[in-house]
Amino acid sequence: MTFSRTPGLAAAGLAALVCASGALAEDITIGVATAQTGGLAPFDQPALLGFRMAIEEINAKGGLGGSYPAELIVKDTRSDTAQTVTVGQELIDAGAQVMITPCDADPSIAIGQMTQPLSIPAFTFCGTAPILPLAVGDAMFGSYPGDNLQAAAVADLAIAEGKKTVYLLTSPDSTYTANLPEYFGIVFEAKGGSVVGRGSYTMGQPDFSAEVTKIKALPEPPDLIMTAAYEPDFPAFLQQLRAAGVETPIYGADALNTPTIQGLGKLADGIVFTAAGYAAPGSKLEAFNRAFEDYAGHAPESTYEVNGYEIAMIIDEAVRQAGSTDPEAIRAAIAGLSDFPSVTGSITYAGTTGMPVRAIALMRYADGVAEYVDTITPDAADVPAP
Amino acid sequence: MKTLTQAEGRETSLTSRLPLPATFRAALADGAAMALAVVLLAALFWATGDAALQRVASYAAIMLTAVCGLQIFSGNSGIVSFGHSGFVGLGAYACGILTMPAALQGATLRNLPGILAGHELTLGGALLVIVLFAVLVGALSGGPLLRLSGSGASIATLAILIITYTLLVATRDITRGSQPFYGVPRNVGLWTSAAAAAFALVAARLFRDSPVGLSARAAADDDRGAAAIGVSRRGAWYLAWILSVVLAFVAGALMAQFLGAFSPKDFYFHLSFTMLAMLILGGMTSSLGALAGVVATTILIEIVRRFESGAVLFGVELPSLFGLTDAVLALSMILVIWRRPLGLMDGRELDLLRRFGRGATPPAELPAIARQAPGGEIAAEGVGKRYAGVVAVDGVSLSFAMDMITGIIGPNGAGKTTFLNIISGDVEPSSGTVRIGRSLRGHSAVRFARAGIARTFQNLRIFGRMTVFENVLVAARQVEPDLARAERAAWRELALMGLDEVADRPAATIAYGLRRRLEIARALALGPRFLLLDEPAAGMNAVETADLVQRLAEVRTRRGIGIVLIEHDMRLVMNLCERIVVIDHGQVIADGPPAEVRRNPDVVAAYLGSRSLKAQQDNNQEDSPTEDTSQ
Repeated sequence: MTFSRTPGLAAAGLAALVCASGALAEDITIGVATAQTGGLAPFDQPALLGFRMAIEEINAKGGLGGSYPAELIVKDTRSDTAQTVTVGQELIDAGAQVMITPCDADPSIAIGQMTQPLSIPAFTFCGTAPILPLAVGDAMFGSYPGDNLQAAAVADLAIAEGKKTVYLLTSPDSTYTANLPEYFGIVFEAKGGSVVGRGSYTMGQPDFSAEVTKIKALPEPPDLIMTAAYEPDFPAFLQQLRAAGVETPIYGADALNTPTIQGLGKLADGIVFTAAGYAAPGSKLEAFNRAFEDYAGHAPESTYEVNGYEIAMIIDEAVRQAGSTDPEAIRAAIAGLSDFPSVTGSITYAGTTGMPVRAIALMRYADGVAEYVDTITPDAADVPAP
Repeated sequence: MKTLTQAEGRETSLTSRLPLPATFRAALADGAAMALAVVLLAALFWATGDAALQRVASYAAIMLTAVCGLQIFSGNSGIVSFGHSGFVGLGAYACGILTMPAALQGATLRNLPGILAGHELTLGGALLVIVLFAVLVGALSGGPLLRLSGSGASIATLAILIITYTLLVATRDITRGSQPFYGVPRNVGLWTSAAAAAFALVAARLFRDSPVGLSARAAADDDRGAAAIGVSRRGAWYLAWILSVVLAFVAGALMAQFLGAFSPKDFYFHLSFTMLAMLILGGMTSSLGALAGVVATTILIEIVRRFESGAVLFGVELPSLFGLTDAVLALSMILVIWRRPLGLMDGRELDLLRRFGRGATPPAELPAIARQAPGGEIAAEGVGKRYAGVVAVDGVSLSFAMDMITGIIGPNGAGKTTFLNIISGDVEPSSGTVRIGRSLRGHSAVRFARAGIARTFQNLRIFGRMTVFENVLVAARQVEPDLARAERAAWRELALMGLDEVADRPAATIAYGLRRRLEIARALALGPRFLLLDEPAAGMNAVETADLVQRLAEVRTRRGIGIVLIEHDMRLVMNLCERIVVIDHGQVIADGPPAEVRRNPDVVAAYLGSRSLKAQQDNNQEDSPTEDTSQ
């Protein structure tokens, strides 16, 4: 019975496909294959909103590079790698000249493998794994600060503050928790610091007494503890560490930039973390936040909105420099961008493997409030290889 | 014996014309038809020239391969497996490591153990290695898993999934841990995946009706019933498990070369649920269900997702509505489970041959019944059974000869069924020994059945989801390794019990009296020396009982086997049995010919208050026994 029904349904599917619109000659088609549903949606949705906002602004000014209106084709990958491959192929078939991929490495690599041979530049929304462009090739770009870049910025701050010794707490359960502290260690040691110990935990473990005891038993207390742990592990670790009387300051990265950690109040005092930008009064980021609220009806919920917005600005600038709609020309222009003034600071692709060097805002909790410490743009040469 | 030889001579001429057993032919025709459908669909997609559609079709074919693997185990054992997505993952990583270009491998997997490094195999070569690996993994994991059954085994498969995931994440030198594994050559397209799916469908369809498949399904339908015909649950399920693991690995290998980049989370719960949802949607118990589930799910997703990002339908612009796909998928699944609990295909196979009137039919000449050589007896010596202080059977010593019908009677709760369970191997006695004329290792229903002790149950234990024919065939197969001969023996037993008209029907759907007879036909298909019947006439009306009496008498005269039956219907017992044993409070209180037992004062005392025997005695004094039998 299924067989008799199948051709009819397949035909309907084909008809729907044919309805998909094609681009005009001097338009630039941007394929957006991102997760609107599933596990990646919380990251991809705000990023897409920021991206759309920028494209609308750019089109109002005549298009990308001032002369090529951008046409978006948005498709849901449902946070599924196989579905991402299909969607990516459809967008390529629909003539995408620039591709946006989900906020995760696997699906981004899966699409990148298809766009790379065609020299179609592809951007991942907020994917931070530094190996991403290496796995694909020179047409794959990230825009969010990579794990190694963030670690380098935090290490620069620690060195500037005169710290000498660090204890690294990692978890092998995710790329982020496993590698970020190690990247920190590499930069820290290269700049004269030393790693005096390493501890490991399992994500989701409620009891950190073994790790706390190990830190307490060190012959000399370290100057700081570096970890990429986040909720719910981080608050548990912090409480147990402080309860054991260890007052060593803790440095982390962007995953500590959440209301939960801030809500720890006094307990979180002295914790250093990173943000993609800091909305200082009068800054571009503050202006963006206001504009975004006007556009979307709510304030940005994360830094993913501004990140999506910046990707559109990078494409806009690359098209302006390339002066053409040719994907290869756009790709080359992106790869050559240097000190591009963006919303959160300057962005540089020249001399990188595809993950940008850009300004990182460093913050510190004090009395339950996040205080701005510094903005650091690490030297491209200092950023550890992935 | 002479008739048998004649029949065999005829069989040889039959086999030269139709070289394959009917069951196998039917399965092969279905499998070939489904494989052809898959290949034709692939050709259709190839003809469109649309790369995206071809990717959809390739992925669907890979999923179909994996779902067929799942069907082979879950469909035939009834155990829902969550673990297969883990095996897909192991296959994917194995394929990735074996086929990766050596230079890239050196760069991305610096600490790969030397034995795994630098193979750069072709997909075909890698598949050979992967199949061997899969057999090993299946054999190792199946052992402990199949000590469990039902939901316990399901939970164990969940544990297997978590273990494989943890292994993939933890063996960082080999798998890159939780980071994406990339650099796998992407050589799998439409034709490779369609070929794998076609192969998997044929394998699943053939397995279902293979001797092992039949045994696995019998054990899934009724474990005790299966043991009573000598089917070892673990043996059958073990093979199903290994074969299903192999297909999951193959699907994983193709998936690796289709995706090119993946990480352990791609083979975790989400994939596991997707595979199960596809299979349950189509119908878990048939290969057609696997095909229908994958096709229906894929079509549904492909149509709905095109409307998600906002489309123009009949001139009306629809708003973009992300999440529609999952919502429609969930709704349709609820709808299917509500309207068709057995799945879209209702658990059926195509059954093409039967549909076109070329299905299995009784052979023109049935093989003759072999009369059992006399000799051998069941001898119970001082057999006792206690259940936590309650003595069910208390030192019973009885022996039963062949070529005789013995009735066991006694009040309710006297220990009759426990005694029957002991001499059928089902229950191990707490004391005493049972000898059945063959040396046996261990006291189990499976071993007793294979040694010629067949039985039926007080509460029917037929295989409800299998056809009447399959019920008998699976028993015949236990004593006759040749499938074609087993089929003919099964047809003979069905004909003798008057069941050949309903042979195609699922056993659960036939009338109660027929089901009782089916259980006897199934027991007789084992070619037993002894047939133990536990209340064979329970729930039957007078006409059905009379018919049964006649058939049982015939069984005894034509086969010369020993029949031991428990029955409350005194008329049946007195008319049919040559010897009656009376058990009360777990002990034998009388043993002898009916006339003698009827007059035994102890028996009368045991039945005091129960008017049945008294009434029976009065009744029998008036009527002559022969008249009763002929009624």
